Amino acid sequence: MNTDDNELDEISAVARTMHATWVSDSLLPRIQRAIDAEHRRERFHVWQLAAAVTILAALAALGWYAQRRVRENEFNQAILQRTALDQVERAERDHVAAIDRMEKLAGPKLEQPQSPLMVSYKEKLMLLDDAIADCQAAIRTNRQNAQLRRQLLSVYTEKQRTLQDVLREESHESR
Amino acid sequence: MTAFAVELPRVEPISDLDLARRCAAGDADAFESIYHAHADRMKSIAYHHLGNVADAEDAVQETFLKIHRAASTYTGEAAFGTWLYRILINTCYDAMRRRRRRPQEAPIDDMVTLTRAASNVDDTKRIMLARLLRELPEQRRTVFVLFEIEGFSHAEIAEIAGISEANSKWILFSTKRQLQEKWKHEH
Repeated sequence: MNTDDNELDEISAVARTMHATWVSDSLLPRIQRAIDAEHRRERFHVWQLAAAVTILAALAALGWYAQRRVRENEFNQAILQRTALDQVERAERDHVAAIDRMEKLAGPKLEQPQSPLMVSYKEKLMLLDDAIADCQAAIRTNRQNAQLRRQLLSVYTEKQRTLQDVLREESHESR
Repeated sequence: MTAFAVELPRVEPISDLDLARRCAAGDADAFESIYHAHADRMKSIAYHHLGNVADAEDAVQETFLKIHRAASTYTGEAAFGTWLYRILINTCYDAMRRRRRRPQEAPIDDMVTLTRAASNVDDTKRIMLARLLRELPEQRRTVFVLFEIEGFSHAEIAEIAGISEANSKWILFSTKRQLQEKWKHEH
């Protein structure tokens, strides 16, 4: 065995005596306390996470419910509007049909007017028909415009009044 | 080159998984049994890496906390003991790197009172070797400490340090040659 090997063996021999050992009674309790604390923190985090998930789920459910209610209200509102509009249009159609019947009754008198008054009634009715046609055209582009509908109603009312005057005039003449 | 025989506290693979599950659940008894089986060696390894008792104990405690955090990911591929020492070594490396940033906070304890008395070994030689070890790079120091001081086999060191068995043998050989050069000068 040469000197080199001797030195290497000596290093190994010294190293074998260097296992460090000391009494540390407090180390295990310290480790257990640290692990307990960490375990508690983890459990707390799990609870925090669960609480956060629950709150998020509740908020999401609330949001979904609110959105659904808004959509329902919008739908109901739309249905109500359409129903109201249908009622208005039905009333208008009835009104127009009644006026048409009056117009038919007054028709012969107006086709061959015998007096200047009848001529002016005929001209007035022609103007009113033009106004009605304009209003109806405008309403076709904007069905929900209440202002146009009121305007159309007033023109029809005026036409109805005029036709009543024509018919009244006719009954005066026939007496 | 011979290592003195020290029996590694080995646990069966099935028990290792069970132990890991218990550690993940924070089972105090599981930690206590690991502590009794490995703490003495863990403290010594940490001490030879960090140079003082307080830092060594902190490293051991940190290792147990890391085991608790990572136990659920333990697959049983490596022996639980090997896994544990690997975590310890990495914890020591982290502490050494932190210390390099704050060198004034690294007291060196009196090694003679901590190492076991051997009638045929001069204390000055142990102090000298301890000082030479502190000058070694991390990996060389680890291989030397694990093989020569703590009696691990090259196969175990390979698993702990994440190197091949042949590499472990080579690192030990070249480390001892390096120490030998300095040893001559010191003499």
